[in-house]
Amino acid sequence: MSIKNIAALVSVGRHPVSGEARHCRNDSLAMTLGLALTSHLNATETNTVSFKVLHAGNANNTALKDYLALGASHIDMIDVAAESLIIDALAANLTNTDLILTGSRAENGLDSGMLPYQLAEKLGFSLVANALAIQQTTDGLTGGLEVLQFLPKGKRRSVTVQLPAVIVVHPLAPVELRHAYARQVTGTINQQASPLTHATPQEKTLKWQTETILRKPIKLKARENKSGHARMLSATVSENKGGAVVIEGNSVEKAQVILGYLREHRLINF
Amino acid sequence: MTEHHNIKRINPRRAYEIMTNGVKRITLGLNSDYVAHEVSLHQTSNKPLRSPKKAEKRVLVIAHSERGTLDDHAKQCLAAAAILADAETAVVALVLGELQEDLSNAGVDEVLVMDTLDYQTFQPDIELAFVKNIITSLQPSRIFMPDNLIGDGDLGRRLIASQPEKLAATHVIEINNAHIANYQLGGNAIALASFPYIVLLAPDAADTSLPFSASALAIDPLTANQQMRHAQTPSYASLGMQTIDAAKIALEEADFIVSAGNGVSNVQTLQTLAAALDAAVGASRVAVDDGKFSRDKQIGATGKTVSASTYFAIGISGALQHLQGIKDCRHVIAINRDHSAAIVKRANLSLIGDAEEIMQALISAIAEAKITAITDVKLATQEAA
Repeated sequence: MSIKNIAALVSVGRHPVSGEARHCRNDSLAMTLGLALTSHLNATETNTVSFKVLHAGNANNTALKDYLALGASHIDMIDVAAESLIIDALAANLTNTDLILTGSRAENGLDSGMLPYQLAEKLGFSLVANALAIQQTTDGLTGGLEVLQFLPKGKRRSVTVQLPAVIVVHPLAPVELRHAYARQVTGTINQQASPLTHATPQEKTLKWQTETILRKPIKLKARENKSGHARMLSATVSENKGGAVVIEGNSVEKAQVILGYLREHRLINF
Repeated sequence: MTEHHNIKRINPRRAYEIMTNGVKRITLGLNSDYVAHEVSLHQTSNKPLRSPKKAEKRVLVIAHSERGTLDDHAKQCLAAAAILADAETAVVALVLGELQEDLSNAGVDEVLVMDTLDYQTFQPDIELAFVKNIITSLQPSRIFMPDNLIGDGDLGRRLIASQPEKLAATHVIEINNAHIANYQLGGNAIALASFPYIVLLAPDAADTSLPFSASALAIDPLTANQQMRHAQTPSYASLGMQTIDAAKIALEEADFIVSAGNGVSNVQTLQTLAAALDAAVGASRVAVDDGKFSRDKQIGATGKTVSASTYFAIGISGALQHLQGIKDCRHVIAINRDHSAAIVKRANLSLIGDAEEIMQALISAIAEAKITAITDVKLATQEAA
């Protein structure tokens, strides 16, 4: 199975300082990666690959034009009445898609990072998160994608995934965003009415209550019922302050101490 | 001559202990004679046991291990689960990947280890099926997972998406028995909600120091293992891990950093050592100001904040601004001339002596160790053949 339809999902972001509506950087990365993959496939493959940019939400948002400036020639926009309908509306629109690209986390709303997972579950697609680069597998038989995944501590992992798939792009993906006003003027936004007209009976969801001020979170700490002596002791003798100190011995012995420590904690493999 | 009868005399040879950092400590109120006993490095815990005798309920903590240990973030989840658990609730840790450390001080009552589900292999469908099996057999009242990038954040979200009827919250930054909280609107607002079934905990939401210990009994997850073998043809496959060359990697992302300060006279030796250890090179402000390193190598308040698992501080005294930059480092090894330097208090292992000499000795020791390792492998393959 080769890729025929690629879709990128975009959301409305929020400027970190002014709070102004704008494009969401994570989604822009996913969209740009999708555009690059589409043009690459169209140049090398015989069959044409179509690419669409999809947004579900409020129709009156002007921030979507940012995505036109960033390279989308056309945006399909589904007018959704309620937030709980977004997944269903997107799923109804994406059944024939082979590859869906999304950002890792929104800048508005709950920003839980759950949407790609819920969408993949709903559509029965496979999902790969933290993608840095995507390419079609060279082995045609497997008919999938090769994805380079981000892992912390300077590690990367290549994985293959069967199509159809949802790929969540990591914020560190090596993608350059280019803003062009001319594209913003020439691009079009096509508004569709949602196929779902009324809200389905809602599943149980958490009731979030937003606080009025932004404060630091309070760290969970264990309550200790200590005697006065114990409290005084813990104030003077800290439990784990400072490790072992090696003063005696020559430099060769000290080097062996370091090697021993590194080996004990499995920080080196020789 | 003045009278001294009324002055309270203090015994100059009072009882003291030598602490692990080499400092003598006098405990007031101890009347015994000269006691000079060393405090052992591996102190046995004398904290009270929290574990319930008969567990009525269970909370499950799921986390991937790395190099046989759980990282700080996973320990915070364990601590949060243990602190919030009542007297009848047992904390069960499900460790994916091998485990070689004792989790009794992390507040765990029961430990399930599944070493085939290592984080380095990408097998989310198998992991999800396994975790669901465990959940069905344990019936936990709550599930905690660290919201990290080594697989737990991903697995947790798959778990949440696969059971939409259960309440769940991600990126949780504040947790207590009444509610949980996370940042919303792109970090511009804090939102509270009642306690859900699945919690994906952000880093630093809980303190890992616990006033109690737990039994940490190992349970065999064999039954679930047998079911796992009948998984369908997987839609995912791992092609292997890549490690970026330590010299090219950004310092914030590096796992092993060799860092130089004012005490390093020969930069070339340090570079050789870093290459031998396959480590990234960092520097303190003084070394950067001297022109020995470029500005992007600076670690500290004005430079970069690093989170390496091993931080090798050579000739660094450990100014507060520098210690801020390495607060997330797990193992700090220091080489310094001065045993009263601030870095010695921070370091897990400190060596007092000349930096250049110890570095040279270490370089030759590493070279020797590598040769022995290679010959061992060769001998083993010859024997096998």
